[in-house]
Amino acid sequence: MINMPPSESDLHAYVDRQLSDDDLRLMETYLGTHPDVAARVRAWQQDVQHLRTALSGALQQPANPDLDPAMIRQHLKHRSRRHLASAAVLLLAVSVSGYSGWQAREMTFISAAAPMADALEAYRLFAQQGILPADYQTGDEGSMQGWLDRYFTQANRLPDLSGAGFKPVSGRLLSTEQGAAAMVVYQDPSGQKISFYVRPPGPKNYLLPRGSRRDGELQAEYWSGPGYNYAMVIPSDTPTVQRLKQTLDF
Amino acid sequence: MNELDEQLRELIPRLRRFAVSLTRNPSNADDLVQACLERALSKWNDKRPDGDLRAWLFSILYRQFLDAHRRSRRYARMLEFFTDRDDAHPSAERSVIAQSSLQAFEQLTTEQRALLLWVSVEGLSYQQVADILGVPTGTVMSRLSRARQALRQLSDGEITRPTLRRLK
Repeated sequence: MINMPPSESDLHAYVDRQLSDDDLRLMETYLGTHPDVAARVRAWQQDVQHLRTALSGALQQPANPDLDPAMIRQHLKHRSRRHLASAAVLLLAVSVSGYSGWQAREMTFISAAAPMADALEAYRLFAQQGILPADYQTGDEGSMQGWLDRYFTQANRLPDLSGAGFKPVSGRLLSTEQGAAAMVVYQDPSGQKISFYVRPPGPKNYLLPRGSRRDGELQAEYWSGPGYNYAMVIPSDTPTVQRLKQTLDF
Repeated sequence: MNELDEQLRELIPRLRRFAVSLTRNPSNADDLVQACLERALSKWNDKRPDGDLRAWLFSILYRQFLDAHRRSRRYARMLEFFTDRDDAHPSAERSVIAQSSLQAFEQLTTEQRALLLWVSVEGLSYQQVADILGVPTGTVMSRLSRARQALRQLSDGEITRPTLRRLK
């Protein structure tokens, strides 16, 4: 409840219609008997009215399609992908450069370091977490091979894993210190994913002895072939994958 | 999602108007609205407002404007010497051109413009404005009173001093 005579704030609250019904009646009675105060209040009310009129034009601007929420969402999605993708590439570059330093000292086959750490990292980002968008998607093995051949000449053929129910579904190009790498994700009907990873051995031609490495829940099988290093990354310890490993012959 | 987008679409003209009143420049204003909507949509899942969507958007937009303004002012101090735009206070020189209420409005400080637009034009409650600014409602009322007083004087040309008219 406001007190009479009304304070400055009460007068403004009246202009802004923020008084309760009781206060409003009280105020109107007061203003009716105090023409000087009423005139001040009226001037403010007029200013409000003029301001509303003056600013109403700004509501009539032609629509800007860039501001449509659908557009904004799309923009956000692209940006976060770009952002995450560059973060992932950075991560790969860091993990690979960590080991090219080692390579430079040892000048030998990679054996003691973690071979194909980038393949495992790419699998986690791309196949498991879905952070990186696919560059290429298909249900057809032939066209996936075609996609890969565009970037890697005379690489190993994509392994045929259809016997274990796995088909290539998506591909993604990645950058490593040695140059462009690619990852092809295979999926089986239950949604299990494994990946085929190709990357150049780099100018010093570091080739890998055939090997296998366990890293957390993942297993990397790696080898070198004509001109490239390869890895298959497989989640270990799942029955489908056990079956796959038995049938797989790299 | 679609329901939210519909609500947002309806509010966009109001956001653009508010942004113009802050930036005084339609294309900067749209950049500001875009940044505001991006922020709103990306925060929607964690921080959606309990109450009025419009007040929430105004508050995001206002904070972004202040941040951008602060950043740009850091670099603009030198340049200010060469320009006739000083956003902080209406100067006596500029008040001579206060002929319409819009011109008077444009000479108010950023916060005064925001306050008058929120309360007088958009009809937000004192409490909503207090939440946006993070101050008690009493403070909102006293600042609003000063803003309205300033607008009144500018509209009346009470502080017009023609002898100080800027020569261009």
